Amino acid sequence: MGMTMGDTQPQQTTATPQIGPIEARSDEALNTARIAIRNLDFFYGSNRALKAITLDLPDKQVTGMIGPSGCGKSTLLRVLNRMYDLYPGQRATGEVMMDGENIIAPGIDVNQLRSRVGMVFQKPTPFPMSIYDNIAFGVKLHERLSKAAMDERVEWSLTRAALWGEVKDRLPSSAMGLSGGQQQRLCIERTIATRPDVILLDEPTSALDPISTLKIEELIDELKHEFTIAIVTHNMQQAARCADQVAFFFIGELVEVGPALQMFTSPRQQRTQEYITGRFG
Amino acid sequence: MASEMAEHIVKSYEGELKRLGALLTEMGGLVESELALACEAVLSRDAVAASAAVEADPKVDAMEREVEQFVIRLLALRQPVAQDLRLIVASLKITGDLERIGDYAANVAKRSLVLNQFTLPFSLTGLGHMARLVQENLKTVIDAVGERDADKALEVWRSDESVDAIYNALFRELITYMMEDPRSITPCTHLLFIAKNLERIGDHATNVAETVYYAVKGEPLTGQRPKGDTSAYAVVRPARE
Repeated sequence: MGMTMGDTQPQQTTATPQIGPIEARSDEALNTARIAIRNLDFFYGSNRALKAITLDLPDKQVTGMIGPSGCGKSTLLRVLNRMYDLYPGQRATGEVMMDGENIIAPGIDVNQLRSRVGMVFQKPTPFPMSIYDNIAFGVKLHERLSKAAMDERVEWSLTRAALWGEVKDRLPSSAMGLSGGQQQRLCIERTIATRPDVILLDEPTSALDPISTLKIEELIDELKHEFTIAIVTHNMQQAARCADQVAFFFIGELVEVGPALQMFTSPRQQRTQEYITGRFG
Repeated sequence: MASEMAEHIVKSYEGELKRLGALLTEMGGLVESELALACEAVLSRDAVAASAAVEADPKVDAMEREVEQFVIRLLALRQPVAQDLRLIVASLKITGDLERIGDYAANVAKRSLVLNQFTLPFSLTGLGHMARLVQENLKTVIDAVGERDADKALEVWRSDESVDAIYNALFRELITYMMEDPRSITPCTHLLFIAKNLERIGDHATNVAETVYYAVKGEPLTGQRPKGDTSAYAVVRPARE
């Protein structure tokens, strides 16, 4: 987790979380970055929304991004799958390295990138089609599967979110008939059906009730064994529960990043301390 | 010193944190005066002070329960993190240490009543010295709690070694008296327990110091604490005939 910055120097802690065998993880695993962000700037027109961000998303771990509204955390997610490409006047400079490629460089196949970096939004966004087709839709774009193989893939995806038991008898009915929590899990399923490497979650539970929220968190816990996950959340306890590493952003800057345990017991930066304890003035 | 924290956005939470601090300070004050009474009881053979110390102890116990309940309430309802979390958990530990200090002080006071029935053929200078040092350390560490002062905590943590040194000297001194004259065994045994109680109070004060240090700094006091109580290894050999 190297870090070189211009005017501001967030402290990146290299210490592994010390909490016994439950979270025991080799240093190697901690140090393998699935995505390495280096000196990233992002502009909405002339407004510099991200300032010299340098951050690693460690492989098969959950990175929680916290910070007040407008701090740039959602913007960072949008950069990671080139969502901003759709809007004129928005541009990113710097490096976002994934598999040896700078994914923000021109010439990158954006469709291909988005199949490797999936995204789930705050509000569940099921397509207005059947539950089955919601999952199959993305897969069809990238893979040619037989009916049987597709059935299998749909079941595989739905089993991941433990949604299978709840919907297996009504796969042909509209996804819009599911509850909010089920819709959101369906969206996560839809994302993993294309077998991405990275999953981006932008406040995935802010519209859900507590039990649906816990189900999503359980899902995140399951998925991190196979995927690298970044989650933006306004719920500090959620970041504490879900994330292995937590990054705190403030007005476009990365103030501090470290293991979740350390960030919520002994953050190094005064601003982090004040924000997470509720003293931001 | 901890850098000053801004006020919490939720005023009632800020009020609760302040109240927790005030409870601990009040409890610390009670324990301090209980110990002062107990030391006075021994050194001045003052039975009134002894009774006052013994009577103060239940109040200390009640305060421990109050702090405990308050901490549980804060943990359950406020889900504290970072420095708030450290201070709240620290309060729980500190209240336990203070309660135990109160117990030891009460025990010192009770033994003083027995001691008063004997004429002592020697002075209690050493014990007086030890009592003063332990009281100073307790006072400093309680100040450290109230002021969230890691430096003061460190000072107490370091100075416990001298308490141990005096205790070792007293231990040998008292054993010598007992060997010289078996009639002194009863008062000397009580004095030994009194000295041991004071030594334990010193240890609990260093526990509090460690807790304060962690709460303020966010990292534990590392390194072996200087320890000097070697009485566990002392051997008394009977004189050869």
